Amino acid sequence: MDSERPVLIRLDHPEKSDEQLVGGKASKLSQLARAGFRVPRGFCLTTWAYEKFLEEGKLTDTIRMELGRKSMDDMRWEELWDAALRIRATFLAQPLSAFLRQTIAEGLSGLDASAALAVRSSAIGEDSAGCSFAGLHESIVGVRGEQGVLDAVRLVWASLWSDAALLYRKELGLDPARSRMAVLVQEMVDADRSGVAFARDPRDPHKEHAIIESVAGPCSLLVDGLVEPDRWELDRKTHRILAWIPGQRDDGHEDIPLLEARDLKEILQTLLSIERVFCWSPDMEWTGRSDLLTVLQARPITTGVVDDDKARSWYLTLRPGAARLKALRERVTARLIPELHAEGEKMAAEELDLLEESDLADTIEKRSNLVAKWKQIYRDEFIPFAHGVRQLATYYNDAVQPEDPYEFVGLLRDQPLIATQRNQFIGELAQQLVEDDALLSAVECLLARLSGDLDWPTFRDELRQATDNPDTFIHGFEDLNDRFLDIAYDHGRLHDTPEPLLRNLVELAKTSNQCSRSDQELLFSVLVLEQKLLIAVGPDRRDEATNYIQTARVSWRLRDDDNLLVARLDSQLLRALEVAAKRLREHGRIVGDGCPNESHVKLLVRALREPLSSPICIEPPRDVDEPVSFAAAPGETQRQLIGQPASPGLATGSVRCIHGYDDLGRFRRGEILVCDAIQPTMSHLIPLARAIIERRGGMLIHGAIIARELGIPCVNGVHKAAEVLKNGDLVTVDGDLGIVTVGSAEFDLELRAERD
Amino acid sequence: MHNVDEPRFDQGDGMDVPRQASEPVVRDRIQSLANEQDYAVLCMQGAGQPYGALVAIAFTHDLRHAVFATPVTTRKYQLLNECDRVALIIDNRSARSGELMEIEAITVTGRSHLIKRGEEFEGMAKLLVSRHPYLKSFVKAASCAVFRVDVVRFLHVVRFQEVRQWIPNDQS
Repeated sequence: MDSERPVLIRLDHPEKSDEQLVGGKASKLSQLARAGFRVPRGFCLTTWAYEKFLEEGKLTDTIRMELGRKSMDDMRWEELWDAALRIRATFLAQPLSAFLRQTIAEGLSGLDASAALAVRSSAIGEDSAGCSFAGLHESIVGVRGEQGVLDAVRLVWASLWSDAALLYRKELGLDPARSRMAVLVQEMVDADRSGVAFARDPRDPHKEHAIIESVAGPCSLLVDGLVEPDRWELDRKTHRILAWIPGQRDDGHEDIPLLEARDLKEILQTLLSIERVFCWSPDMEWTGRSDLLTVLQARPITTGVVDDDKARSWYLTLRPGAARLKALRERVTARLIPELHAEGEKMAAEELDLLEESDLADTIEKRSNLVAKWKQIYRDEFIPFAHGVRQLATYYNDAVQPEDPYEFVGLLRDQPLIATQRNQFIGELAQQLVEDDALLSAVECLLARLSGDLDWPTFRDELRQATDNPDTFIHGFEDLNDRFLDIAYDHGRLHDTPEPLLRNLVELAKTSNQCSRSDQELLFSVLVLEQKLLIAVGPDRRDEATNYIQTARVSWRLRDDDNLLVARLDSQLLRALEVAAKRLREHGRIVGDGCPNESHVKLLVRALREPLSSPICIEPPRDVDEPVSFAAAPGETQRQLIGQPASPGLATGSVRCIHGYDDLGRFRRGEILVCDAIQPTMSHLIPLARAIIERRGGMLIHGAIIARELGIPCVNGVHKAAEVLKNGDLVTVDGDLGIVTVGSAEFDLELRAERD
Repeated sequence: MHNVDEPRFDQGDGMDVPRQASEPVVRDRIQSLANEQDYAVLCMQGAGQPYGALVAIAFTHDLRHAVFATPVTTRKYQLLNECDRVALIIDNRSARSGELMEIEAITVTGRSHLIKRGEEFEGMAKLLVSRHPYLKSFVKAASCAVFRVDVVRFLHVVRFQEVRQWIPNDQS
C-alpha cells in the first residue's frame, strides 16, 4: 500500500484521523476510540480509495458531463435528481478493481465474519460545526458478506452525488466537484436500547440541560423517524432527571421508562467527557446500556446554523423513507385527494350570483384561505409523496441493474391520470370532426369569423345554424369544459375561453392518429417488468417490491392529478372574484378594465364589505405574450442548445413558443412546441407537435412521458428555451442526444465574404 | 518553392528529418502523445471553406486508424459526408503552456469513413468508449455517427519548428 496515500485505515489506528483522509465521521470516531470511548470495531476506506475508484472508471468525467450541462443554479431539483440517478447507475455498473476488492477483503479479515455490518458515509466536512449532512448521505445497515460490502460501498460513494446532497451543497455554496467520500465499515452492535443524546438542548443551548432520547432496538429506528423515542431532560451539573416524556410502545408499557437512572447517568457522563475531549457540545448516537454503552457517532450540535439546518430538513423531506411514504400514501389516497376533489366539486356547485355582497365577500375569503391551505398541503405532503416514484427507481435499478436507468417507468404506464382521461375525451371530439366534413368546415369557418372575440353561447348557436347535426359535438364540448377545464391557467379560467381548445380540436382532426400501443400490449409490457423486478428481488422480498410498485403508481398518478385538482380550486376562486368584479363594475366601483386575479382578493373583499368606500383600480396585467427576450450581443445567435434527451428521435420544424393561454390556440400541427414547461393543462397539444423543447428539465415530467409514449422527440432542460428561440425559427431536435440545432449548417457568410 | 520549415505533402516517404541518437523514434513520441491526449482538432472543408471542431478521439494500437463520434445534426457530419479528406491536430499545450520548446504537436492527415452500425461499428465504438467511458450513452444514441479516420501520415512538431514525419503504412 502507498503509505502517502493509504486506502484503508483501522479505526483504532494511532495517528491517521485526518479528516481529509477519513472524512468527518470516521475522524471523530477514531479520535473517540483513541480517547478510550467504546466504539464499534471497524475500518475506514479512505478518500484515496474513493479517488482510485473514480480514476479507474474515469467517473469524474461522467460526473462532469452530468452536472456540467448547465450552471447548477439553473438546474431544477428534478434535473439534479435525474443526474444523480444516472451517476448512481454508473457507480453501480463500475466494477471494483482487484486492488480495491483485496483492500476491502483485508479490512474485513480483521472483523467478526459472522457479524452484520454497517457501511456508513464519512464525507469531508460531514458532521462539522458549520454544517451537518446528517441523513443526506447513505448509510447501509445489516450488510453481510464480502459481496454485500462491495455493493454497499459503491452505493455509499454514489450518495455523495445524491440529489439531496447536491442541493444542500448548492445551498451552502460548496463546490460539489471538490467533494470526497470516505466509507466506514463497522460491526453492528446488537443491543436492546439505542438512541441519540445532546450535551445541550439544541433548542436552547444556553440552558444547562442535556437531552437523551431512546428507542428499543437499533438506532436506525429513531434516526429514520420510524419510532417515537422516550425523551429525558437532565441537569448537566447535578445529573438530576428534570423531565421524562414516554415514547411509542407496542407492548402498552408506556409507564415504564426505557432507560434506568444509571443508564442515563452513563450516557450523560459520556456526553460530558466527549465535550471535554473535543471542546464542543456533542450530538451523539449511541447503543447499549451502562458499561456496554457504545458511541456510534458524535458531532457538534448544529444549533448555530438554523437556516442551513432548515434547508437540509427541507431536502430531507423530499425523500421520505419507506414507512413515511406508506403513511403518506394512505393519507393521500384515503383522505387528501378525495377531500381536494370534493372541495372543488362543492365550490363549482355553489351559486354565487345570488349571494348578498357580504356573503360573497365571505365566500371569496373562504376560497382564498382554502387555496392557501391546499397549496401548503401540496408543498408539505404532495411534493414529498412524489418521491414514491424515485424510491421505486432506486429500488428497481439496484435489484435489476438495467442498462436504461429509466426502465422502471414502464411499471407506471397504465395509470388512469385525469389528464389522460381528458386527452382521450379531446381525441374523441376531434374524431367527430374527422368523420363529419361539414361539421369540421363549419367549425373552421366560425373560428375564422369569430377569431379573438369568441364566446361559447354565440359559437354554439351559430354552429347549430351552420350545420345539421352538431349537438353531439356541442354536448361533448360542454361536458369536456365542465369536467376537465374548470381550471386556472395563466391567471385565467380555461372554462371561460373555449377558442384555443376549439382551434386545437381542428388541428387534431387534421392529424393522423398517433400510433400508441394497444391496452393489451401496454398491460403485457407492464407485467413483463413486474416479473423482472420480482424475480430479481427473490421470493422473500416480493411483498416489499409489490408495495414499492403500488406506492410509486399512486405517487405517479398524484403528481399529475394534484396539479389539476389544485388548479380547479384556483379556478373557483377566480370565478368568485369575477362575479364580485362584475357586480362592483356595474356600480361604477372599479376603475380599469383588468381581470381580477388572486392578488385582488383583499381589495375586492373590502369593496364588497364597505359599499361606501372609494372605487378600486384593477388594471390589465402586463402583456404576458411578450416574453423577456434573450439579450444577445450584436451578431450573436445561438447555433446549438443543449438539454436533456427526454424522448428519442430526430425532427426538424418551425418553432412555436407557448407563453400563455392564447398561444395554445395558435399552435399548428407539425410545429416544434417550445415552452417553459408543459403543464397538465396543455398536454393535449403534444400529439400535434413534431417535437418538444422545454426549459424545465426531467425525465419524469409530463411532456417527456407523453412524448416518449407517442414517439415524439423531446429535449428538455434547455436553459431559456422559450426566450432564446423565436416563433418561426427552423430547428432540429435531437431527442437521442439532447441537442437542439438552430438553422442549417451553412457557409453563406464565408462564401459571400469570398465573393466580396 | 517550399518553405523549408514546413512539411512537404508530396514527399511522403518516411522519416524526413534525421534524429539524434538520444531521441526516441518519432513513432514512440506520436504514440505517447496519442495516449496522453484525449482530444483532437478535426479539420475539414466544405464548399472551399475550411472548418475545425474539437473531438474526443481514440487511436487503434497500430496508429493506423483514429475514431471519433459526432451527432448527425452537426456541421461536421455534413462536411464529412461531402468531403472525406481530413486532418487532426493533437498537442500538449495545456500541460506545457509556459515551455514553448517542449510543446509537442502532431498533425494527422487522412480520410474519414462513416461506419455503419454493425460489427466494425461495435469494435470502433468500444475503442472510443474504453478511452472515454462518459461517452457510452452518446455513442449508443441513434443520432450519433461514428467515423474512422484512416491515417495517411503523422507530422510531429517539437521545439517550435522541428518537424518529423511518420507514415504508418510505410514498410520501407
